[in-house]
Parts: sequence; C-alpha cells; structure tokens
Amino acid sequence: MIDFDVLLGECFGFLGPNGAGKTTTMRMIGCVSPLTSGSLSVFGLDTQKSMRQIKQRLGVVPQDANLDEELPVEENLTVYARFFNIPSSISARRAEEWLEFMELTEKRRAKVSELSGGMRRRLLISRAMMNAPDLLILDEPTTGLDPQARHLVWDKLFELKKRGVTQIVTTHYMDEAQQLCDRIAIMDQGRIIERGTPQDLIQEHIGREVLEIRVAEPENNDNILSLVASLAKGHDSYRDLLMIYSDEAEVALKRIREIGINTDYTLVRRSGLEDVFLKLTGRRLNE
Amino acid sequence: MNNPLKPFSFSPRQAFRVWQREVSVYKYVYKSTIISNLMDPLIYLMALGFGLGAYVNRMQGLPYIQFIAPGLISSSIMTAATFETTINTFVRIHFDRIYEAMMATPVTVEDIAVGEMMWAMTRSTIYATVMLGVVTVLGLTRSWYAIFVPFMGALGGLMFATLGLTYTSFLKSIDQVNFYMTLFITPLFLFSGVFYPIDALPQAVKTIAFLSPLYHLVEVIRPLVLGTAGYGILLHLGWILAFVFIFTVLPVNLLKKKLVK
Repeated sequence: MIDFDVLLGECFGFLGPNGAGKTTTMRMIGCVSPLTSGSLSVFGLDTQKSMRQIKQRLGVVPQDANLDEELPVEENLTVYARFFNIPSSISARRAEEWLEFMELTEKRRAKVSELSGGMRRRLLISRAMMNAPDLLILDEPTTGLDPQARHLVWDKLFELKKRGVTQIVTTHYMDEAQQLCDRIAIMDQGRIIERGTPQDLIQEHIGREVLEIRVAEPENNDNILSLVASLAKGHDSYRDLLMIYSDEAEVALKRIREIGINTDYTLVRRSGLEDVFLKLTGRRLNE
Repeated sequence: MNNPLKPFSFSPRQAFRVWQREVSVYKYVYKSTIISNLMDPLIYLMALGFGLGAYVNRMQGLPYIQFIAPGLISSSIMTAATFETTINTFVRIHFDRIYEAMMATPVTVEDIAVGEMMWAMTRSTIYATVMLGVVTVLGLTRSWYAIFVPFMGALGGLMFATLGLTYTSFLKSIDQVNFYMTLFITPLFLFSGVFYPIDALPQAVKTIAFLSPLYHLVEVIRPLVLGTAGYGILLHLGWILAFVFIFTVLPVNLLKKKLVK
C-alpha cells in the first residue's frame, strides 16, 4: 500500500533501492500494469476505467530506451504524436521545437542507432513531451549516462520544471533527487517509509554534518558514542566505520580527540540525502 | 490480482494509428522487401512452370505453369502475413519494444493486435496484387474475375495473421519461429493444391488438406484467375470466413496476456 499526492508544477521523486517497487508504481500510474489491489487515481480519474483519457495527458520516459529503431529521429516524434491524435501540422512544429530544445536539431534525419546514450535519453524526453503532458513520468532518467550527459539531462529537466511541467522522477542517485526534486518519497520493499523535502529529511534524520571515524580499537566505539551523545542525532556503523550524525560534528570530534582515543581516520563532511537513504533503507545489499 | 484481460478496450481509430506506424516504416523498406519477397514465388513459377512444365503435359487440362500461377499467388499471401506476424512481430515485442512504447500512449493491446493484423492484411494484399500483375504480364490470367484477387489477399492475409500472431504470443525465443515455418508453413505450401490437385494424395492426407487454410484460399483464387469460378468456390470462401470469424479474437486475448504485466 502506498499513498501519495503530487502537486501541480512540482517535481516529485521516488527513491528506493532496486526492487523497492519504483518502476512498478510508475507502470501503474502509466496505466500499463494492472493494480494488484486497491485503487489509483491520476488527474482524479480511475486508472482501471479511464486509461485512455489518463494516458492522453501523460508523458512517459521509460528506464530503457524503447525508441523506434526503424524510423529516423524526427519521425520518432511525429509518428508517436499520431498515437495521441495530434494533427500533423501541430506535431511537425512541436517536433522541431523539442529537437531544438534538446539540442538534437542536427540529428533530425539520423537513424536512432547513430545516437549516443545521452542523445537517446534526450530524444525519449522530447518524445514524451509531444502531447504537451500535464504530468511527465521519468523512470531513472540518467541511469547509464556519463557525467556530461547526465548534467545536460538535469539541465533540461530543470528547465522543464521552470516552465511549469509537473514531474515524477524515480532514481537511486541521491544527487539527482537533491538537484531536481521538490519533495521525495523513500520506498523500500513496496512501501513508502519516509517523505518530505530533501532539506527537511536531512535535517530531521541526520543534521548538518556527518563525522566519519575509524578507531584503532573498535571496543572504544561505545565510549565515543556516550561521549558525543548530547551532540548526536544518531549514528550508524558499517564494518569498522562509525558515522555520527550531528549539527556540530567538529565539536564532537574535538571531544573525542581530547580524551585521547586513537583514530585511524576521521572526516567531517556535510550531510546529504544519501545518508538519510542509507539510514532508512539499511546498508545491506538488497539481493 | 485483477483479471489482466479486463477491461476489453478497443478503438478503431487507435488501431488505425498502429497501422499507420507500419506504413511509415514501410516507406523506407518497401523497395528492397517487395523484390526479395516476390523473388521466391517467381523462382518457383519459373523453375517449376517452365522446368517441370516441360515434362508435365497438362494438369487438370491446363498448361502446368498456368495451373501453379494462381497457387503461387495464394502462397505469397500466406508468406507475407506469416512473416509479418511471426518474425516481425516478435522483434517488435522483444527487441525493439515498439509495443511497450505504444502502450504508454492512448493505445491498448487490443488496438495493437488489430492494427498489426490490418497491416499484415495490407502486406498480403500488396503481394497478391503485384503477383497478379506479374502473372497477368506473363499472359497467365484468363478472366476479369481476377480483380477479386486483391480482396482475397486481404481475407487470406487476415487468416494467416490470426494464425501467426497466435503462435507468436507463445514464443519465448526467435529460434522457435523455425518450428512454425518448417512444421506448419512448409507442409501447407506443399500439400494444399498449389503444385498439384489434392485428389492425387492418399485419402488420409486429403482429409488433413481440407483443414489447410491455404487449400481453401487456392481453391478460391485459382477459379478467379482462370475464369472457372462456379458456386463451388462459395464453400471454400465460407470456410475462410468461418475461420476468420471464429479465431481472430484469439490472438488479441493472447497478446494481451503476454504484454500486460
């Protein structure tokens, strides 16, 4: 059972490890997968009864590029637009605009197989915009892209948000969620376990900073924790690495140094969404 | 779990959109595919019509090449719809994932299945028409009734599209297409009266031949091309119509089961 609302004009993120149910949720919103139970409404319409009306207003960017390899780039957009019954005069103009926006104009006559991974992803997003959707669903929009291509895609998605396009993004890249999303929901094993703005979640679960510390004698970990208890919002350990979440990590580190515990490694860093994510979903592998 | 087959949702306009996508793709490939696909029946026509025809005096009172020409028009209908709904459809499902992309739009699996069958009919009609043209140029068409051949191309195409799509909805790998070709299509090609009247076959095989969709198609098209059409063809036409009427909904449901998950 998951329960969530997406507000007009916002970018809503679904975070979760692989197998958490993100893609399944996206497919249900897209009226592609049947519901196992319960109900789901998109735009106030029931996904079981009004799938055509809902899909008419959705833009979907799937995880794996399913572009039409048998058609050139521009026709990928215009042929797709026909499925929405958009007149060809309008779809030709839109295709031109979106190719321009996504910096693909010089590739308009190219075959899909000639495009790089980043270009394919931008073409997929262009395709999803052909019906001027009220909601754009992006399933892991930058997975598998190199850093340059990722930043260009983020840039374009940010631009879309500024134009008022409501977006749902699934990702397991925390920097992606932090960059793009106004609000996020963290999913694990088919349930939403936490939600809020990235800043609020970090503040609530972690605080401003993280103190990473590895001590020579792990027996000392308990001593350290009781020493900094008044400063810490929580802690976590992974193998012999101890992580202390705090608004004042420097002060905590000073206290530990003062009583002369031997440390192999210490680091004070800014906290991020990844800390929240790992704290909530655990550090074990979901395999 | 809700029944994945429900609700049944079909829109003729959206099926037409699916068909249009195939037309858009065909614009890029028709030159090469028409020639390569028609070479096959034409080689049979030449090799057997002239080669074997030199030894076979007459078949049912006709020059041999004249006998097999309408049969090969019929088999080209079968081939066109079969390739379209087996190999091509398999690639669209599994490799190119075209249907997955369509399903994100206001297109349902029902629309996809019907659109693909319409497209297979279109291709069969094109091949039947071009083959008829070649046969006519060779002076082997004897009757104006032959103008009904393209119509039989559409109807026969639907029949073989139904069969092909049904088989494809069970396929796990593309190699399994070979079973369909060697165990089903090739026997139909050889035992359905394309090259000789099925009267020549042993009674048991003759009975099986009566179940062959291609046999009935040949028995309609040959009289139309040769101008010997009598009421007898209505029996075969009826068989084809009944087949189409009973079975076309089957692959629609099977494909839906396969694609909705």
